[in-house]
Amino acid sequence: MNIAVDFLLYAVAVPIVAGIVCLIMPEKLKILTKFLALLVTLASLAASVRMLLLKPLYWPPVPVPALIVDNLSALAGLGISFFALIVTVYSFGYIEKNNGRYFGYLLMTLGSALGAVLANNLILLVAFWGFLAVLLYLLVTIRPTAQASASAKKALIIVGGTDALMIFGIGLLWKISGTFAMEGTRVPLNGVLPYAAFLCVLIASFAKAGAVPFHSWLPDVAQDGPASVTAYLPASLDKLLGIYLLARISLNLFIMNGISNSILLIVGAFTIVFAVAIALVQHDFKRLLGYHAVSQVGYMILGIGTANPIGIAGGLFHMLNNALYKSCLFLGAGAVEKTIGTSDLSDLGGLSKYMPITFISFLVASLAISGIPPLNGFFSKWMIYQGIIESGSGKNPFWIVWLIAAMFGSALTIASFIKLLHAVFLGRASERASRAEEAGVSMTLPMVILAATCILFGIFAFSVPVSLLIAPVIGKSISYIGTWSPDMATALIAAAVLLGILVYLLVAPRKARVVSSFVGGENPERFDRVAGTEFYNTIREVKAMGSLYSKEESRSFDIYDLSGKITALFTRYLQKLTNGVLPTYIVWGLIGMVVMFIVFFIRG
Amino acid sequence: MLENLFKFMVYPGFLFSGAIGLLAGWFDRKITARLQWRVGPRWYQNFMDIAKLFLKETLIPDGASRMVFFAMPLLAIAGSTLASTIIMVINQTPGVTFIGDLIVVVYLMLIPPLALMLGGFASGNPLASLGGSREMKLMLSYELPFLLALVVPIAKAGYSIQLGGIITYQALHGPIFFSISGVLSFVVMLLCIQAKLGFVPFDMPEAETEIVSGMYIEYSGPALAMLKLAKAILAFALPALLITLYFGGIIFTASGILMSVLEYILILLLMIVIKNTNPRVRIDQAVRFFWRIPTALAVLAVVLAYLGL
Repeated sequence: MNIAVDFLLYAVAVPIVAGIVCLIMPEKLKILTKFLALLVTLASLAASVRMLLLKPLYWPPVPVPALIVDNLSALAGLGISFFALIVTVYSFGYIEKNNGRYFGYLLMTLGSALGAVLANNLILLVAFWGFLAVLLYLLVTIRPTAQASASAKKALIIVGGTDALMIFGIGLLWKISGTFAMEGTRVPLNGVLPYAAFLCVLIASFAKAGAVPFHSWLPDVAQDGPASVTAYLPASLDKLLGIYLLARISLNLFIMNGISNSILLIVGAFTIVFAVAIALVQHDFKRLLGYHAVSQVGYMILGIGTANPIGIAGGLFHMLNNALYKSCLFLGAGAVEKTIGTSDLSDLGGLSKYMPITFISFLVASLAISGIPPLNGFFSKWMIYQGIIESGSGKNPFWIVWLIAAMFGSALTIASFIKLLHAVFLGRASERASRAEEAGVSMTLPMVILAATCILFGIFAFSVPVSLLIAPVIGKSISYIGTWSPDMATALIAAAVLLGILVYLLVAPRKARVVSSFVGGENPERFDRVAGTEFYNTIREVKAMGSLYSKEESRSFDIYDLSGKITALFTRYLQKLTNGVLPTYIVWGLIGMVVMFIVFFIRG
Repeated sequence: MLENLFKFMVYPGFLFSGAIGLLAGWFDRKITARLQWRVGPRWYQNFMDIAKLFLKETLIPDGASRMVFFAMPLLAIAGSTLASTIIMVINQTPGVTFIGDLIVVVYLMLIPPLALMLGGFASGNPLASLGGSREMKLMLSYELPFLLALVVPIAKAGYSIQLGGIITYQALHGPIFFSISGVLSFVVMLLCIQAKLGFVPFDMPEAETEIVSGMYIEYSGPALAMLKLAKAILAFALPALLITLYFGGIIFTASGILMSVLEYILILLLMIVIKNTNPRVRIDQAVRFFWRIPTALAVLAVVLAYLGL
């Protein structure tokens, strides 16, 4: 075999094989799995860079290849390899036991995810896709607690259930187009069958990315699973994969029209506002982040739904940006949880003094997700807003709704991160929090890299990520209707801050003294600490919001619980039919035969 | 770069906007004093206050996260100055793009309150935490009608988010204020700006008599001066944004500048009158208020704008 010829095969197969090696590694050599994981993820990143440079690539070199690297899959593949490497390094410090199994699943996830985005065959795609759902289950239950198992089961059922829909959709697609090959297939949405196929595959991508109403597994997994796993799968890889599939079906496989785009816009706008409104009142660090992982998907779907180059480019860029800051946030949450032993917001506080590096990276990522210029989150949101406004000039008045949902959702995001920053890192330290220590290098380094990438992707957005990664996918030139020069803005802000520091240095050191804080003349020690978890209870008192929160808390929006109830309803009647009495079954069999006979008789 | 640095630091950026903002602060104090049958301060009082603060000692609350506590005033001032610079430079040359558009300006104006909240939280004072939570809730409440009202000029000016585009549109078709939807959306904006600047009745985040200035409570000396300056710059930039969006921008001729000054004074006067004739409301009342009446008005304005009124 020739490495150059079979390069793509190796890119997919090597991580999976290495993963299996990790699983069967004897107990004494477990330490080797770490190095193997690091080696393979590094090699994968190199391979992805090579794919990006050499695209398009095909394997095997036949007319209908099984694996293809085009612009979109090169983008997704690069992201997947990058986050696999980041999480692997982080896990050296974070994961203490079960080395072999954990790194084994991690590598197999990497291989399967690469396989899913490179696959040119729908059956191959579904195979990798299903494999990923199982790996998610195995990774979440790597620390086998009762809650983790329940959440993992929920994730498996929702993601796996929608996989079944996807298989059905692919079957329909095959019926329409007569091929399983993805390249070159363009199906117009012009009847019941194409729409059914489109919706089935769409739901699979929504469930993977975590869009409402298929989101409910994500906050549960975020709360109960290990933080590194959440950062790896739901926060980054699942977003890349889900949005990859969404982009693939809406840009390549199907020819979109007004109706299908409207579906995307409605789901996107609703997802943004709904999930972030729920996130506002959460009490658990990781669960709050989980709801944000849902909310941010809305922006990507909204961007792709606008169907104009700048909106789609914004959606794809937001996918990358979200993966960057969201995994940084989850890694930070993991670092906090590891040193303090809880992720309940009311037990945290004041950590910025004890964990400065974690705090700074967390702060940068929080500002990025809140869309504060000049960070990357602002840039992609800005592109999406332009996409929405541009779609409005086609005389579709609903653009205002999408725009307000996106922009107001952004304000709500700021609000919940203000609360989070206060409750975790600022304010007065709780007793538990004052024993915290900074995490080790293997955990802080990935966070710092991610935070730095957030800043760089924001400042050099035009010249690096957009022109190198995003623009080739769009194909057409991206025309901006707005203006934004992040580099100049950053330079000016930096100049102002430097000047301010100079003023401080000139004035402050001569006259500074430390005093105890002033609480209306009272002894500050006698005042209760403001934990910050109750910040937004005023919002809860507004009638409409209050009923939203109580409905969500009673799980009225959870498709998992709802489908459980529906299934129970069906089984109540169906179980009467399966009563174990043989004649009943025979009667049913006879009825079936009669029906079939009549059907075939009529059809001749 | 050097030219932009001059624009940013001197004119129309930091020094210019700050000076106008401080004068506006004096105007506010003077009018308020006259309404209460007092004499009121001299015109340079606010400048003296700032200068004095720079000479005062700095008190650092124990238990504070010092880095954040001192970094945030700098960010606040940088954010508001950049927003103000963009608005003014584009008013001077509407045909040329400069750094950012309307969306960028709106987001830059979020930085000062955000920085103030984080700085207050970093002090570790429980009253600052309370003030910060009120500020954030206030921000959530006015942001919804604010964004809706913002849609009116964007839609009217032919889906342009360029400040220059909105100015040129108004130069050709007359100010956006001269239409029903324009007036409605201007009124909504004015109320939102009242809250953005923390004027009574929406001053509950500071509420000296309840929570001793909230987020400002532990700030002293140069850091406090910078926060005050950041706010003064916003007190210039926000009305300037309104003039740009609704009154056709500032035209740089003698009569045009006079007109803009009058418009600025009119906006200030409206805010000061509202401030002096209303008691402070509670935060939950503010949330309800903004999510009902101004939001409804803004929706009406958007619908009217869509119908071409």
